[in-house]
Amino acid sequence: MSKKILVVDDEAHILHVVSLKLRNAGFGVLTAADGEEALEVMNSDRPDLLITDYHMPVMNGVELCCRMRENDAIKDIPAIMLTARGYALEPEDMQRTGIRAVLSKPFSPRELLATVREIFGLAEAASPDEAVA
Amino acid sequence: MGTARRLILVLIVLIALASSTAYYATQMSLRDGAVRERVMGWLAVGLMSSVCALVLIVIWRSLGKTVQIVRHQLLTLEGSGEVGLIMVDSHDELGQMVQEFNRYLTRIKSRIEQLKLQKRELDIQIRVADAEKRHTEAIIFSISDAVLVTDSFDELVLANESAERTFGFTMSRMYRQPMARIINDSEFVKLVTDTRSENTERRRRVVEYSRQVAGEKRTFNVTLSGVMDAKGECNGVVAVLHDVTREKEVAAMKTDFVSNVSHELRTPLSSIKAYVEMLVDGEAEDETTRREFYDIIQNETDRLGRLIDNILNISRIESGVVKIHKEPLALTSVIKDALEVARPQAVAKRIQLVDELTPVFYQVLADRDMIYQAILNLLSNAIKYTPDGGRVTIRTVVDEGKKTVRTEIKDTGVGIPPEDMPRLFEKFYRVESSKKMAKGTGLGLSLVKHIVETVHAGEVGVFSKVGQGSTFYFQVKLAD
Repeated sequence: MSKKILVVDDEAHILHVVSLKLRNAGFGVLTAADGEEALEVMNSDRPDLLITDYHMPVMNGVELCCRMRENDAIKDIPAIMLTARGYALEPEDMQRTGIRAVLSKPFSPRELLATVREIFGLAEAASPDEAVA
Repeated sequence: MGTARRLILVLIVLIALASSTAYYATQMSLRDGAVRERVMGWLAVGLMSSVCALVLIVIWRSLGKTVQIVRHQLLTLEGSGEVGLIMVDSHDELGQMVQEFNRYLTRIKSRIEQLKLQKRELDIQIRVADAEKRHTEAIIFSISDAVLVTDSFDELVLANESAERTFGFTMSRMYRQPMARIINDSEFVKLVTDTRSENTERRRRVVEYSRQVAGEKRTFNVTLSGVMDAKGECNGVVAVLHDVTREKEVAAMKTDFVSNVSHELRTPLSSIKAYVEMLVDGEAEDETTRREFYDIIQNETDRLGRLIDNILNISRIESGVVKIHKEPLALTSVIKDALEVARPQAVAKRIQLVDELTPVFYQVLADRDMIYQAILNLLSNAIKYTPDGGRVTIRTVVDEGKKTVRTEIKDTGVGIPPEDMPRLFEKFYRVESSKKMAKGTGLGLSLVKHIVETVHAGEVGVFSKVGQGSTFYFQVKLAD
């Protein structure tokens, strides 16, 4: 069964391109335009990984991760944060929020995919990408 | 020769004459009849006495005359209030005495002249000191920083208007009153008293201090210095409060701006980079997807370009180096172009974009690109700060009398709190409560104001009610 990933960004173009990259690699993709919507999606359809932008209306990426950690059902979901602010997280923050990696915008979809695979512990050779292809 | 000596000489001569007459008379009386001689003797004595008396009277009168002259001169001098010399044409003792007296007077006179000179110098010094004091006070009073001066008892001796405003007191009523009674803030009073009691430290110190002034929190850099006397004792404190509230805000706004601009630039750049990489990696399989990617890259590149234009235009207009190309143009057609560009943004939020434009194409003398930019910024803001499903209306109103045309952009958005209204058009300023609603650089409205007011000598403004929406308008002259 393919892994499910939730992508959260208020920029439609970014949602679109990240979804496409992940889908092409054989992952299942869910999307949300803000934190509120992301929490709703996570509660109804638990993803295996969260990819979120930092700067968004309603709540920022770190706030979203903290809110997620308050809910037992979804608190263990690992997260990747994309940020256009050169935002650096302290190790304690990463621990506290469950954020595993921070990618700076402009980011490379290739790198993002590699990070996703790393988190899932998937070797390049055995990637779902190959399976689909 | 002295009068007294002359008198003695005359007396000796008279006595000699009288004695020889008496002797002659006595000799005669021995030879001739006694009666005749006795009469002769008495006659001689009487004659001598009369001459004596006469001489005495003459001397007395001459003395009296000199005294009279001296007295008269003294009275005249007294009347004139001057110190002068007494002129006597006599060389006797009185004359000598008067001369001695005159020498003494001359000394007094020169001493008085000297004192007068000193007094004049002192007067000048007082006037200079007075002028300097007034000058210094004027300087202190004209300083926009608040200045407070206390003495060795921590009593207020000087304060300027700014200090009165900052601490809410009247100097004329508080002169030499204890600081603690005037200033209702123990923190500030302690700063002043500590500066005085620390005494040993000559160096000034600067501390940050905040207080409420006219209902607003203001932050000051307070410079405290002890006033040292010759013995090195601290006998007062000068406190200067420099208001840094605005500077701090500007600094915070600039930091915010850099971070916002960087974010705003990175966002379209992210899309461009990601889509280009997808194309390079061959992830867009069919022609339709590729075409879609090309469009996105193109749009995002334009967005990046517009953003950079916005930033550059502001600095160009501000520094006055922008090239302005004014021509008669139909405002309505510019508005229509801007509407077309803004429409996708509105559609994405299901916002109704309505135009109520005048059917007549009124001409204005304007720089097309700039006016277009201003309209687009206002439309884009209206859409950004209106919740999904709302409505944005743009209309033009012509005032034939004033020969102006007014463009109004009305939204059903979140509105602007009254406290943000005065600073809305400032560069980098963003409404705190709306920051979460949409992203921005805080440049859009500032640019609109520059374009309308600086470049086109027009007027820009806004009406707003929180929760109901805002109406932004700008007004420019119609072309002749």
